Amino acid sequence: MSTPRSAGPVACFLDQLHPLPKLIVCLIWLVAAIMVFDARFQAITIILAAVALMLFSRFSVWLVLGLMVPFALFGAGFLTTSILFRDGSDFADKMAAEAPFVSEGVSAGIVLFLRAIACGMVSALFTLTTDPGDLVKALMKNWRLSPRIGYALFSALNLVPDLASEAQQIRLARAMKRGRLPRRIPGLAEGFSLMLPLLAFAIRRASRAAIAMEARGLSRDGPRTILGAPVLARRDGVFAALALALLAVALVQVWLFR
Amino acid sequence: MPGALPAPDQGCVAAWRGVTVRYPHQPRDAVGPVTLDLAPGEHLLLLGPSGAGKSTLLDTLTGLVPNVIPAALDGGITALGSDPASRTPAGWSRDIARHFQDADQTLCGMRVEDEIAFALENQGLDPGAIQERVAAAMRQVGINAAWRERRTTTLSGGERQLVALAATLAQASRVLLVDEPTSHLAPLAAGRLHHLLMTRAPGRSVLIVDHRLDGLITAIDRVAVLGRDGRIMVEGQPAALFRSHAAELDAAGVWRPLASQIDTALAAMGVAPPRPPANIADVMTHLTALDRTGQTRARQALEPLVAAALPSGPGPEPGARTVAARLCGADCAPFLGPVVLRNVDLTIMRGEILGILGANGAGKSTLGLSLAGLLRLKAGSRDGAAGGVAFQNPESQFVSGSVREEVEAALAAPGSKARPGAVETVLAGWGLGHAASQHPFELSHGQKRRLALATLTAGGRWPLLVLDEPMAGLDAASAASLAARIEALAAEGHAIALITHDMDLALRLCRRSVVVGEGGIMADAATTDVMADPALLARAGLAPPVFKPVLDWFGEAAP
Repeated sequence: MSTPRSAGPVACFLDQLHPLPKLIVCLIWLVAAIMVFDARFQAITIILAAVALMLFSRFSVWLVLGLMVPFALFGAGFLTTSILFRDGSDFADKMAAEAPFVSEGVSAGIVLFLRAIACGMVSALFTLTTDPGDLVKALMKNWRLSPRIGYALFSALNLVPDLASEAQQIRLARAMKRGRLPRRIPGLAEGFSLMLPLLAFAIRRASRAAIAMEARGLSRDGPRTILGAPVLARRDGVFAALALALLAVALVQVWLFR
Repeated sequence: MPGALPAPDQGCVAAWRGVTVRYPHQPRDAVGPVTLDLAPGEHLLLLGPSGAGKSTLLDTLTGLVPNVIPAALDGGITALGSDPASRTPAGWSRDIARHFQDADQTLCGMRVEDEIAFALENQGLDPGAIQERVAAAMRQVGINAAWRERRTTTLSGGERQLVALAATLAQASRVLLVDEPTSHLAPLAAGRLHHLLMTRAPGRSVLIVDHRLDGLITAIDRVAVLGRDGRIMVEGQPAALFRSHAAELDAAGVWRPLASQIDTALAAMGVAPPRPPANIADVMTHLTALDRTGQTRARQALEPLVAAALPSGPGPEPGARTVAARLCGADCAPFLGPVVLRNVDLTIMRGEILGILGANGAGKSTLGLSLAGLLRLKAGSRDGAAGGVAFQNPESQFVSGSVREEVEAALAAPGSKARPGAVETVLAGWGLGHAASQHPFELSHGQKRRLALATLTAGGRWPLLVLDEPMAGLDAASAASLAARIEALAAEGHAIALITHDMDLALRLCRRSVVVGEGGIMADAATTDVMADPALLARAGLAPPVFKPVLDWFGEAAP
């Protein structure tokens, strides 16, 4: 997803950050969300990610709530499994009992449910506020990622909006054949029927991108200039310090009130 | 390698000797055997009907075929005196820049400035030099500075074509291989791009494939024409070749410049200029220099061409027509996108062909989709039956596994099968009989467009048809056939909205046109009036039809 660089400095603070410190912070927070088996910690993670997306990027309350839906559906699977098949959730119960920050009385199912949303929101925070091009350039420049792998990753990251755009075209063509307007959001049956043509598009898009990059000189040999790679700034330090301090406070709170 | 063929000339920047290419699982060669040279500093135009193998031939020079695109290649090729296999395809990009027919094949989905810089970064150039070249290419091509940070996938088809051309020009390579660079561009942008590509640069050779010949031909040194069998039909100096091989080229469905068509007509009456004209300016110089008798004969010679350049017949009586679709105070926006056209009032009648004209990115496709009822209006209302749309990218319309199945699905009424023999009739009518068993995505660009139009018109389902740049990528024979079909559909009572950058086509088919730009409808008038308003055309990024000076002369020379 492209970054709205023309927006105000506060409104797109997250979008302007260097991708690598943001990636490290998000990874640390993801590890904490996986390790800490406590509903309050997961809830804090969700709230902080949601507030950050609303205050320091361009997302409305409704969009953030909408973002949570797929993660909530995924997490609901854990919750129902935990409730309906208690024998099957021994491992989770054991995890809950052994976890250092666990709060007694909180169902393992609820923790798993919230953890799915928390991990999803942290991932969404990173992917939705990071330009794929900037990430690839930063990885190539700072972590010496091979350009071939970097641009393959770039194509993969860009595939999501491209698939959405192609899906719209296909839906318009089908709507024309049916003789009625497409629904704003495709139903389940329409969604499934789009999968095969979109898979074909993805394969075609990938092969065209490979040919285009080869024709324009992308190779593994020789030096390559990286133009416009993100540069570390003071705001990256501020973000990392603030995010890690918040993580520490959340962990301590959970520990103190366990 | 065939031993009888002479060795490639080491002085040529590119040479093909008896080259044939066959793609896997195909019964015949995609191109060849072809023997062709490109001399240093030469501007060579490669023409041919769609599917003749022009793009394939270009892909062989840097080894994209067969190294990246698998195919069996036979014959000898040299690129800058070396075997293409001596480098990887990527290794050739420093010296040979390739612009593909479909802008999406040239672009990689990055932001505009990253796209233009990509090849230069791969060459390891100094960042300052890259930035200078990117800025210069954007300026030359006329890319809005506000696009720098936009992803190319968010641009319109024509805008993407501009970025792809800027990326190709920024490479400043010794050899440019350019495939249909202006097919989706508005006239002013196309003229500017032709000028940029064809401006002589020291040591730069250009091999260009293009159907849009007027404005290009004067900068071409030599033309080579591929026939339907994939072999070189004729080659030579442009104006002379178009005069001496006019009948063969027409029979093969190859485009000729308008000046050449006029030359043929004048020759039939014995009043052709002594030297074949290269462009309309040459034609006009000749016509105005003719004596009275000569002018009378020239008028007689040009009468059929003038008649063909304007809509035929008187057209339906305004009172006898019914409304096919109407937009009232409509705010039009792309699917899930912001409003691009405000307060649009537009009516299209049954039996009418309406031209939709405008610069790249003006909102023509959005207007067409709104008129067809495929986009929800942000404000205002729409009346009328649903319309069928031939999308700019024909691939969006294909849902079946073969060409035959696509046509079958289009012909069949809901819950029934197509009438026996009907599929074959449609396939033959659109020149797709030989490709019936192929997957639609395996077709050439022109063939894909023909298939999309065949499926749209075959069932006769839609009283309103919106055709979005239907002639782009078509050869002359297919374009002439399509123009005749459009007129026939209108005569049957269909309403046709024709989105086009071809001003001569609009003048010929559309009695009425709307000009889209500046966030709304700039003009809604008779096409002849639109074309006679240079200020309006300039504001909208358009140019008068190429044929207009001849029409004006014809009117002035009337007895």
